[in-house]
Amino acid sequence: MPVTRVVSPATESRRRPARRRKDSGLVRESSGGHVGQSGLRAFLSALPFLTPSFIGVMVFLVIPVIVLFVISFLNWDLLTPATVAGFVNYINIFKFDNAAHSLGVTFYYVLLNIPLQTVIALGLAVLLNSKRKGMGIYRVLFVAPYLSTPVATAVIWFWVFDPKLGAVNALLAHVGITGPQWLSSTAWAMPVVAFVNIWQYVGYNMLFFLAGLQAIPRQLYEAAELDGAGPVRQFFRISLPLLNSTTLFVLVTGVIGSFQVFDTLYVLTQGGPGNSTEVLNLRVYQVAFSDFRLGEAAAMSVLLFGVILLFSVGQFLFFKNRITYEYSA
Amino acid sequence: MSVWVATLAAAGGIAACSSGSSAPNSGSATHAHLTYALWDTNEEVGYKKSIAVFEKAHPGITVSVVQIPYPNYQEKLQQEFTSGAGPDIFWVNTPWLSTWIKDNLMVNLAPYISKAHIDMSQYIPSLVSLHTYKGAIYGLPKDWDTIAVYYNENFFAQHHIPVPKTWSWSPTSGGSFLHTLQLATIDKNGVNATSPKFSPTSVATYGAELDNSMQTGWGNFLAENGVYTIPKPFASTVSFSTSKADQTFQFIRDLMYKYHVLIPGSELGSNATDPSSQNNALFAAGKIAMQIGGDWETTGTFADVGTKFKIGVIPLPAGPDGTWSVFNGLIDAINPHTPNFKATWELEQWLGSAASQKIMGQGGYVWPAIPGLDSLFAKYWAGKGVDMSGFLTESKGNLTNWPNTPGMNQGLTDMQRDMGPIWLGPGSLTQTSAAVATAAKDANHDLATAGG
Amino acid sequence: MSAPAVRLDEPVTPAPRKAGLAIGGRVIKVSVLYLILSIIALVFLVPYILTVFAAFKPISQIFTEPAWIPPKSLYLHNFSYDFVSGNFLRYLANTALVTIVLTIGQVVFSVMGAYAFARMHFPGRDKLFWVYLMTLMVPNAVTIIPLYAMMRMAHLLNTYWAIFLPYVLGAPYTIFLMRQFFRNIPQEVIDAARVDGCGEWRILARIIVPLSKPVIVTATLIAFVFGWNNFLWPLIVTNSQSHYVLTIGLANFQSNINSQWNYSLAASVITLFPLAVIFAVFQRHIIRSISLTQIR
Repeated sequence: MPVTRVVSPATESRRRPARRRKDSGLVRESSGGHVGQSGLRAFLSALPFLTPSFIGVMVFLVIPVIVLFVISFLNWDLLTPATVAGFVNYINIFKFDNAAHSLGVTFYYVLLNIPLQTVIALGLAVLLNSKRKGMGIYRVLFVAPYLSTPVATAVIWFWVFDPKLGAVNALLAHVGITGPQWLSSTAWAMPVVAFVNIWQYVGYNMLFFLAGLQAIPRQLYEAAELDGAGPVRQFFRISLPLLNSTTLFVLVTGVIGSFQVFDTLYVLTQGGPGNSTEVLNLRVYQVAFSDFRLGEAAAMSVLLFGVILLFSVGQFLFFKNRITYEYSA
Repeated sequence: MSVWVATLAAAGGIAACSSGSSAPNSGSATHAHLTYALWDTNEEVGYKKSIAVFEKAHPGITVSVVQIPYPNYQEKLQQEFTSGAGPDIFWVNTPWLSTWIKDNLMVNLAPYISKAHIDMSQYIPSLVSLHTYKGAIYGLPKDWDTIAVYYNENFFAQHHIPVPKTWSWSPTSGGSFLHTLQLATIDKNGVNATSPKFSPTSVATYGAELDNSMQTGWGNFLAENGVYTIPKPFASTVSFSTSKADQTFQFIRDLMYKYHVLIPGSELGSNATDPSSQNNALFAAGKIAMQIGGDWETTGTFADVGTKFKIGVIPLPAGPDGTWSVFNGLIDAINPHTPNFKATWELEQWLGSAASQKIMGQGGYVWPAIPGLDSLFAKYWAGKGVDMSGFLTESKGNLTNWPNTPGMNQGLTDMQRDMGPIWLGPGSLTQTSAAVATAAKDANHDLATAGG
Repeated sequence: MSAPAVRLDEPVTPAPRKAGLAIGGRVIKVSVLYLILSIIALVFLVPYILTVFAAFKPISQIFTEPAWIPPKSLYLHNFSYDFVSGNFLRYLANTALVTIVLTIGQVVFSVMGAYAFARMHFPGRDKLFWVYLMTLMVPNAVTIIPLYAMMRMAHLLNTYWAIFLPYVLGAPYTIFLMRQFFRNIPQEVIDAARVDGCGEWRILARIIVPLSKPVIVTATLIAFVFGWNNFLWPLIVTNSQSHYVLTIGLANFQSNINSQWNYSLAASVITLFPLAVIFAVFQRHIIRSISLTQIR
């Protein structure tokens, strides 16, 4: 759920010119690195403010990454002492744990989910981008699932898509169609999971597009209107290009989020039917906590990390100077 | 380089850290609060009755029963054990028996049994040897079960289906087994599957169900065709990826998708493993005419069926190698980290005693592991109109156990997942064979990474 | 391109065409717009409504009548069953405890850290901030296994500590958000306070925090919702019912009782209800805070 949005500190100091002031040594507009007597004092006074989050970052984010790599070279079932396995875990996850299949399923899920979700989010933003009454209510409705507990909404959708008792097949039966087995069918299970995820997050992404649309000056549209361009052309020639950054942002954050889907899958399919919805994240959990092969699970986690990192770094580099987050007080 | 060594050592420290020392003979024999883990909700009722008697006789000891669903049971308990916790006493099933032996998760009760002069010959010998390894005994046998076929007597009578006294199948020809199934599979127009007018897409009642599981499903049929999951206990590889096995699985697949006489696997839960005993509900609702199951399911089936129809029991059909049934029995094992060993040992002795097994037998929950008490179970169900002699007959015939080797439970889970497609749709022998081969490969890996 | 922060009630629409014919055409267009939006809104709303209906029906009604028929009366047994036999009262208490502790800790420690990065000067400040930002690229899924191993070594498995500890000491993302906000508070105000002899703690408490209510509210909401909805971590780190949170309770409940939808849907309502309240109270703030991100 957390979205990576980043601003480079360098941008900040570039935006305001450096100021020279009469100072008492305590107030220095430096961006660090200026060591003096005030340096040590400044460091000590900052220490209590930083310590909790520093411990948090180190112990719960940085060290685990190192430990993960170490475990990936071990053979460990949590009950008997670990032995060194070396690189063989990285081979075994492909030979025995279906890592390649899980990776493929994950990519399939991302492909089903993200492009469609982005298009729908954009579409909804276009629809809601009008001065009419009631837009606020629709906006609230579309965003509501974003906060809802994924496990709970998964239970709800599990029921709604139940082949015998669920509302979807009941509705289809009314119009004379026999609905498929949905989550029990290898063909439909993943699309249903993708649908649920789209339902959950499309409103959230719509808000980004909405903000982006509303930042485009009227004049551009008015000028195009005068030139005889209709609303469709205006959309494709003005709105869409100016939304490029937003679109890319939504796409990349969506992809990164999709790689980590777990709650929905755990409730809806547990990886089934067969292993048609066994994404990598779920497989890591199964190998670690059902099969108790922590070394192999760690190796799969490293694999997952690598894939996500590729997208994260790309996003980081591309967006680091392009995003600001402002509040009007 | 030294950083590398240091971090490996640190991780090794994490890894080698044992969660405390084992303390058998700890605690008081008269005052304790014990936790007892099990999975079957029907038997839970019976055990609670038995424990009530125990608590009366031991006023200082209270027992809380924790029910964990079977599909999650081993991993759940193992997760608790890894954090140094876990129940004091708990059910153990054969698929993970050897894993837990290897991981030292059960107390060796042999010295305590001999000190208490418990006569092990009162139990079924094969159950005692099943739970013995290198001289250590891990629990007192308390029940046994076999697999047979429940059938809807009213349905059979209504459709003039002769109840088979002996029936058989072979992979090449369905035999009288297939024929009976066809007679019992009726479509919505009342036409059965022997007729060319039979409509496979609108079946009202299927002949039977067969789930994707070793004990109540394919294990029996494999054995009847001379195939065993592992060649011997504590084997390091599986032995069911053979052409005879492939044929057997294909036979099952054909029964579902070629002859349409078995209910499609999609009705039986995730990967057709039937984790929530759908078969009882299907049988009671008349969606299947026969239910292939274990005798411990009788309570649940009977509750679902109620007064709708009379339940009959017949032994399994014979395969090329005769009639075989999976034979099983559970023990209660004691947690080596329990702080209440003395009290838990009291409970263990009680649960293994004839007195407790009488309660379980009389209530119709399980066949007691003490042979003389069989009649109680049979009598209870005879009183309810269900003749359980089919299960008893099986127990005197060819029997095969759950495969017993470290890592087997994970192996079975992976096998069920890899063989799911066989249950979920039609396919050729080549496809079935490929699924079985994948299952064997993954199972072998589970065995390899769990061993020693 | 530095556009000012936008407000959502000032939308941009293409200018209308010639009047007359346009008005009739416009009425159709508007009706179609509302129609489409309403159909989509149904997809968003209906699952919740059906769930609430089902939560108040006995199982027999759920099996026999269609889901969109409202319950005949408020059948409360599902909830009482859930709370008592289903143990959801316990799960609710656990979740509340863990989430509140997590939220308070995360917000407080993030405020402290953000202030240090925003308005204090010390050697290595920016480099350290980069380290914090880098950790944003470490996905939750990847730290699960090592954190589990570490918790086990510390003998913290199956404790409340284990559930909130990885998240309670501040969050880099929240620190980033707050830092940006704090930097918008004029340096002069802080300098003046320092010259007046105010210690850093006082500056933080008396000046920064009161001025930062919006971002603190956002951070609180983020932490609370995250804590409330967290599933995978509590799942692997707790294994006894006494310590389960709502998400675990709900997932287990669902898989155990299979088609007893009345109970599991009522349990979903229990889980979602506090979030619904929060959303109802804070929705303007939430939508605003997401929308005010600008991506160029």
